[in-house]
Amino acid sequence: MMPSVSLAVLVLVGVGSPAILLSLLGCASLLNRPLQERWTGSLAAGSMLTSCVALSLAFVVFGATGTGARLLSYGAWSAAHEGGFAVEFLVDRLSLAFAALSAAIAGIVSAFSNRYLHREPGYNRYFVLLAMFVTGMLLISLAGNIVVLFIGWEFVGLSSALLVAFFHGRPAPVSNALRVFSVYRISDAAMLAAAVLLRHAAGTDSLSLLFGGIRSGSASDLTGTSATVIAMLLIVAVAGKSALLPFSGWLPRAMEGPTPSSAVYYGSLSIHAGCFLLLRSAPLLEQADAARVLVGGLGAATAIFAALATRVQSDVKSSLAYAALTQVGLIVVEIAIGWYTVAFLHLVGHACFRLLQFLSAPNVLHDLHGMEDAIGNRPSRTVSYLDAVISTRLRRLLYLAALERGFLDSIIDRVVVEPFVRCANGLTRLDRWLCNAVLPAQPPASVEGVEEQDD
Amino acid sequence: MHQDSSPHEPDSPHSLAGLIEEAAHLLPAQGPISIFIHHNTLHAFEHLPFEEAVERAAERLGCEPFLSESRYRDKLASGRILAADVEALLDEHLGARGAVDVAGVGSRLDFWRAVVLHGIPAATGRELSWILEETPALSRFRTDVPADARSATAVIRDEDGNVGEESRAVRRLWTACLGAAGRTAPLQPAESALPVRHRDWLRAVHGLDTDAWIHPPLIRFLAGYLDQGLAHWSMPEKSRGIHGCFLEIYRTSLAAQCGPWARALPRLVSDDYGAGRDALGSIANSLDHLGVEKAERGDYLSAELLALRGWAGIVRQIEERPDRVPARDITVTLRGYLAVRLLIERAALEYALRQIGLGVQLPELRSSLQRLAPQPPAPAALERAWSLFHLAQLCGLDVSVVEQWKAQDVTDLESELQDLDGIRRRRILHQAFERTTRHRWYDALARHAPQELSAPPVFQTVFCIDEREESFRRHLEEVEPACETFGTAGYFNVAMYHQGASDAHPRPLCPVAIRPVHYLAEIESDSDRFAGRSRRLGRRAAGYLGYNVHLGSRLPVRGAVLMTVFGWLALIPLVLQVVFPWLSARWRRARETSTTASRTRLQLNREEKSPPIGKHSGFTVREMADIVRRVLEDIGICDRLSPLVLIIGHGSVSLNNPHESAHDCGACGGGRGGPNARAFAQMANDPRVRQILSAEGLHIGAHNWFVGAQRNTCNNVVTFYDEDLVPKDHEALLERAREAIDSARRREAHERCRRFDAAPSWYPPVAALAHVEGRAADLAQPRPEYGHATNAFCVIGRRARTRGLFLDRRGFLVSYDPARDRDGSILARIMAAVVPVVAGISLEYYFSYVDPAGYGCGTKLPHNVTSLLGVMDGAQSDLRTGLPWQMVEIHEPTRLAIIVEGTTDRVRWVVEDNPVIERLVRNRWLWLACLDPESGVLCELRSTGFVPHTPKHGLPIVTGESADWYQGKRGFLSPAAILPRPAAASDQGASA
Repeated sequence: MMPSVSLAVLVLVGVGSPAILLSLLGCASLLNRPLQERWTGSLAAGSMLTSCVALSLAFVVFGATGTGARLLSYGAWSAAHEGGFAVEFLVDRLSLAFAALSAAIAGIVSAFSNRYLHREPGYNRYFVLLAMFVTGMLLISLAGNIVVLFIGWEFVGLSSALLVAFFHGRPAPVSNALRVFSVYRISDAAMLAAAVLLRHAAGTDSLSLLFGGIRSGSASDLTGTSATVIAMLLIVAVAGKSALLPFSGWLPRAMEGPTPSSAVYYGSLSIHAGCFLLLRSAPLLEQADAARVLVGGLGAATAIFAALATRVQSDVKSSLAYAALTQVGLIVVEIAIGWYTVAFLHLVGHACFRLLQFLSAPNVLHDLHGMEDAIGNRPSRTVSYLDAVISTRLRRLLYLAALERGFLDSIIDRVVVEPFVRCANGLTRLDRWLCNAVLPAQPPASVEGVEEQDD
Repeated sequence: MHQDSSPHEPDSPHSLAGLIEEAAHLLPAQGPISIFIHHNTLHAFEHLPFEEAVERAAERLGCEPFLSESRYRDKLASGRILAADVEALLDEHLGARGAVDVAGVGSRLDFWRAVVLHGIPAATGRELSWILEETPALSRFRTDVPADARSATAVIRDEDGNVGEESRAVRRLWTACLGAAGRTAPLQPAESALPVRHRDWLRAVHGLDTDAWIHPPLIRFLAGYLDQGLAHWSMPEKSRGIHGCFLEIYRTSLAAQCGPWARALPRLVSDDYGAGRDALGSIANSLDHLGVEKAERGDYLSAELLALRGWAGIVRQIEERPDRVPARDITVTLRGYLAVRLLIERAALEYALRQIGLGVQLPELRSSLQRLAPQPPAPAALERAWSLFHLAQLCGLDVSVVEQWKAQDVTDLESELQDLDGIRRRRILHQAFERTTRHRWYDALARHAPQELSAPPVFQTVFCIDEREESFRRHLEEVEPACETFGTAGYFNVAMYHQGASDAHPRPLCPVAIRPVHYLAEIESDSDRFAGRSRRLGRRAAGYLGYNVHLGSRLPVRGAVLMTVFGWLALIPLVLQVVFPWLSARWRRARETSTTASRTRLQLNREEKSPPIGKHSGFTVREMADIVRRVLEDIGICDRLSPLVLIIGHGSVSLNNPHESAHDCGACGGGRGGPNARAFAQMANDPRVRQILSAEGLHIGAHNWFVGAQRNTCNNVVTFYDEDLVPKDHEALLERAREAIDSARRREAHERCRRFDAAPSWYPPVAALAHVEGRAADLAQPRPEYGHATNAFCVIGRRARTRGLFLDRRGFLVSYDPARDRDGSILARIMAAVVPVVAGISLEYYFSYVDPAGYGCGTKLPHNVTSLLGVMDGAQSDLRTGLPWQMVEIHEPTRLAIIVEGTTDRVRWVVEDNPVIERLVRNRWLWLACLDPESGVLCELRSTGFVPHTPKHGLPIVTGESADWYQGKRGFLSPAAILPRPAAASDQGASA
């Protein structure tokens, strides 16, 4: 029993230390007594280090004691007629490895940010959001039931949007953050719907059923249809979070925050959260072939689109964003094919490598000059194999489409945003008409603001 | 098909081309970011007096002319501005008008003083309502009022129980002010300039911002066109020029998908293409369609350019100096950009026209919007009363006085206040701030006794004039009192294109005003051929590997393999560079020494083969002799050379810093000055050069030896060149100099660390040196060094005048010996070379600090390197020019004070003889003062001529070392005289 106890403690410490950091920094900020930079920095570094060490140890302990998966329960926190809310972590090699990786990367980023954001007015806010993000990532990776997963998912989404809007003195970050947030809402809604359906169909919110290695046969309780519907919903959730098509438009817009936050979210961890979720729900996917084909298709289309887009981007952060998306698309394809180990290794390698690239994005001038000096000349551009095949006209069209990022944003604007705004405006007019009809003697209210487009 | 000149537009100043030329003047003049050259941000306004220029530019560009009033008030409170200086300025400014009584309130001088020193908080509309309702403004008197005014309200406030009393009195005063405002005729609304662009009218009337629609695709297109090698696919059809390329790519129905607004774009593009218009023709056509009259074209085009001024500016820069960017396949013209911009804008405006459903055509859009535009409201009674209310408190007026005010009194007071509006108050406060700051330097220089060396120096060192060398020179002199230091422009008069042994391309190393004609290559001269070859191969291999990783990580299949197999290896550099930057700095240096040649030489001699750039390879002996003579004459050591002369250039290396080049040597055009120092030393050591010079009366003996070196101002590493050539009998001397420099490196790092919050103040010099080394190699460090921040003045004169003075790294020090300059010609050439450079640095820092978002490029944290030309904020924005906040945050924005050691007559002659300097001085873009070489009297140039300055402040005298003065202090330090301890001063130095 000893290993199990120590495993539970290690996991608790691993998840708990960023959660404590979040509550500490958050409460201090709420009380309008933010900690000094020095304290915040060392606390954050300490907590991430603790978490990383604890989770790595847990990985070792778990690897030593057993295979398969284990559900660690930390008690039911509320009970209702059918079920309730229990803090449960599903522990297996995959979840522990991803959690340890998340903690390690968060530790590096928090050490980086401590110096990078030195003297920045938003320093404290940044670290609150970073702590929220890490807590969210750990909850996603270790979640044992769908409620815990959803909490983590929301932490990541909220902190992501708020960090995109970090420089809220300028209009662009705020409107781009709103865009990111709107896409996340769609993804969250899909996730929530999946949770409800799952409960409805399988009678449990435990994820051990779907995720991880406990395949006691109960998964077959799910009929093919409901498995497919749930899988489809999960795919929408994943596509939103990992910027797969058709949601890819938000990814370059998210580059508004400080460099380290762009790095850890869109280069390294958050962008892979969707892939991880797919890996977890592999047993479910295996039951829903339609969903699997869809996932594979989405991943491949995203990879092709992003590979085209990254070639023409002339600013370093957009270029890296689409390069990251290319790999994410490929990881999704690997999962759809069923190469889970390859996909996971790909994910880990990509998360580390892209983090380094994003963090040193401002160094690109220095790096390129260095390479040029070492080679002795400007490296000649390899003639792309595409150039040889396609006509000039097609090349121009492709270039324009890649430069305009597949026109995704404008299509969404036309297909989704405009009808939505028109509908809202219509309702406003109806509302005003009704009010005027019912309450005649009101002073004219100023309602111009309502008609402004929200995006 | 797209020619630049057009038959239907003659090239007269009022033609379209002329108008574009004129409009282009307002654009920021910053070139590609990797060759950062400091310049006056408001160069286009230099023909105006400084104050007028900054205020006009602020209006035109939507920026701040000075700091905010509250910042100046903080400075008043902390003593950085002295109230006495404000009073003196007001006195000068008002003259006889100061004694005139204003509406019975008091003399104008008192009135102005009270308002300038204490201020009237600006508040209108809802903000004012909020202040009145939610703050104690109407229940308590202001406490920050002049002392004599305080006594008037003190009666009520003094006793504790009388808060109710005070509140009643305040209310009564407020009511009286409201009454006074009510008795007076209503004011006219303030006139504001009408916008010229359609977009501005649309935004004012309908809240539609067409710029928000068109800027993203426009920026993407422009960045793609100008890209210098970041994107893997370059834009097709680049050779057709911006406009031609745009027509080719966007001439497809797909272009309508750029946004909901873009429906008309393919039609407009095809129309241009079909009609075969060139850029100018397209602009003229667009202007006709937009309904822009001939007379307003200039204003309209200028406003269009300023809407995205960073990008327009870089287009202009590349148009003027295509040699400064590597891409050769682009034809960049501002007119091309304007043509594209107007096309896109027309498409967006047509869409907006449909959206607002006004039923007019594009040409009439502006006039019909103008009719709909809301009129600016006239100041309400509440707003007027607010100013009067504060005025009454500042002047200590009794309620009864206010109640007696007639309409005429109120009008008088209001017109007086209008005269003294926010901008005027800030202007006066700023002038006072500069006056206080400037006078500190004047006082120190006037009071400091010249420190002459008692014996000939053991060695001499020549540095750049850079203010970052001030501290280094001071510490070096403290460590080694027997040495002498000099400052001269850091290219050491060697203007050249230089190509290092490991550089792929040559780069110019000289002030930006000079286009070099000489090319100088560094070549490897290792005896071991094989080692050299393998090193080169190793370097190439590493380069290709790096390039393939860079590229492969962006490609799908190669990337997937790379990531899956090797991706996790990135953790090693991540941890090393982020968590242990100091270690990685050491490792990096060790690696570099193994891959760079151990021994190289400069190809100094003239060769017949044609150079890759410039006119000549190498210098002739005659040219070398002239270069050497000029520098030795400038610093005045022709007849007193010591056995060893060190020539030390400077540069700066840092990571993750797109503005890295801004920390390099300004005199080398944003390059590193080591090669110049090295070339100079080699020239001065050349027997042929010495022979020529000797024939001309400048003797450099066999016992004199020059050694070139470079100091990295970021990590304080000093690299010596060609040490193996040093004669045997100079080795001991060089060793002594090297030890002194080593010690100075540590001490200088220590002094620099006092401005870095992250370096604890207890750090000993050794730890401080490690700290700055770590900064230079730290990926996470947005402030590798503070560069030119805090620069405030420039001294052109003998070092004796400043030696032993602690100048806090704030002064450019230029060596000049008036006694050795018979006719002032040396001063003339020194000032011609130095003044524009230092003025550019000082003014760029001024503007980037005063308005970090408008003139500077804001905080570095979201910067995104684009097209390898500059940075944008976050995902996409205008190209940001100027300096980032992290570079300037500790700066004090003041104009540079130049103090020349020389007679007033000579300085006046030199200034009047040089039109560039004359304009800067006449319009007060810098301050000029003379320090008389004989009497030591300091005179400042005012509008009335040179006026003697009477020192006010004393000069603190510290016995010991600089550290005794600065230790433990973080902020600005006033100048102090650092005198060596009388006994054992010399042995102490060596043991630091």
